[in-house]
Amino acid sequence: MKKNLIGAFRVLVCGVLSGSLLAAGAAAQTKPRPKTSPKPKTKIIKLPPREVVSEVTQIDEAGLRAAVKPNGKPLLVNFWATWCDPCREEFPDLVKIDADYKGRIDFITVSLDDLAEINRDVPKFLAAMNAPMRAYLLKVEDEGAAIAAITKDWQGGLPFTILYNEKGEIAYFRQGKIKIDVLRGELDKLVTTASK
Amino acid sequence: MKRKSILLAALLAAFVFVLGGDVDAQQTFAVGAKLDNFKLKDTDGRERSLDELKGEKGTVLVFLSAQCPVVRGYNERIKQIAADYAGKGINFVGINSNATESLDWVKSNAAEIGYKFPVLIDTGNALADRLGASVTPEVYFLDAQNVLLYHGAIDNDKTGRAITTNYLKTAFDASLDGRKIEKTSALAFGCSIKRKGD
Repeated sequence: MKKNLIGAFRVLVCGVLSGSLLAAGAAAQTKPRPKTSPKPKTKIIKLPPREVVSEVTQIDEAGLRAAVKPNGKPLLVNFWATWCDPCREEFPDLVKIDADYKGRIDFITVSLDDLAEINRDVPKFLAAMNAPMRAYLLKVEDEGAAIAAITKDWQGGLPFTILYNEKGEIAYFRQGKIKIDVLRGELDKLVTTASK
Repeated sequence: MKRKSILLAALLAAFVFVLGGDVDAQQTFAVGAKLDNFKLKDTDGRERSLDELKGEKGTVLVFLSAQCPVVRGYNERIKQIAADYAGKGINFVGINSNATESLDWVKSNAAEIGYKFPVLIDTGNALADRLGASVTPEVYFLDAQNVLLYHGAIDNDKTGRAITTNYLKTAFDASLDGRKIEKTSALAFGCSIKRKGD
C-alpha cells in the first residue's frame, strides 16, 4: 500500500514536471520573434544522391592501354593501392578534383592491390571515400611492361597521377602525393584550351 | 636573328615545361655507369663509405623504407638473398632516403627486421637523387669496380607467392659466372621515396 502511494506520487511529480516543460516549450514556440532578429531565410537545396562506385573492374595490360585513351576530354588517371599510405591520404583531394571538374574531364583510378581485394578492401575504401570515379584493378604478369606503357619516366612508385589532354598526349604527371594547386593549374590549362 | 633564336628557345623551354612531369628523380644512373665512392652515416651515426662496404664481387644498394608495406613484404627475401650471396662476395648495403622516417624509426626497424647489413641514412636524398632512385624496394647491383650491372626490382612478385623470375639473383649468378646479364633492369610497383620537401 505504502509502495503504491510512493509510485503514485512519483507519477504525479513526473507528470507535473513534464507538463511544465511542454508548456514552457510551447510558450517559447508561440512567443513572437523580436523584429530586430528576423528569421533567416534558409534555402534548402536538395543534392542529388552522390554516385559512389560500387564495382571495380579488373584489367590487364591491354585493358590499361585502352583505359588511358581519352574519349574526347582530358583524362586524369590515378594509380594507387590500399596498402599505400600517401595514396589513401591524397584520395579526398582527388575526389574533390573529380567533383570540381565533373563533365569537363574524365577521371579513372587504377588500383594495384592484389586481385583478392577487388571485392573487399578496394571497393570498401572507394565507398568510404565517396569516390564516384570509374575504378579499375590492374592485374598483370609483367608489372614493368605495364609501367613502361604509361611513361618511361615512371619507375613504379605509388601514388602516380597522370593527366592526358584530349588527344592522348601527356600533359602532366606526378609520382608521389599530388600537389593540389599544381594539378589544378594543369587541369585549368587543359579545360580552358578545350573550351576555346 | 638572335632575337628569333631566343624566342624559339623560350618557346621550346615552355613546351618542355608543359609536357614535363614531376617524378622528383628525373636523373637516372644508367647501366654501365660507374658510381663514385660516397659516404653516409649508418644507423649508429658512424660514417661509412662505399669503398669500405663493397663486396669483393659486387655490391647491392637496396633502397628501403621502415614504413612501406611492399618493403615489409620483401624483407625476408632480402635477408635471405643477402645471406646467400654474402659468402660469394656480394655485399648488401641498405639505404633509407625517406625524409619522413626518423633515424630512431629506421634504426629500431632495422633491428626488428634483423638486417645483417648496414642501413645508411641518405639525408636530403642526395644518393637517391644521384642514382635516380624513386621507389622502395629498389636495387642497384654494382660490380667490383662500382659499375652498374642491374637496376630495379628484386623479383616479379611483391607478394612472394608466385615468383617466376628472380631478376636480382639471375643477375648475380650471371655476373659470378662471367656471363652477360640478359635483363639489366626491371620495374615493379612499390612505394615512392618520400623526398625532402614532398
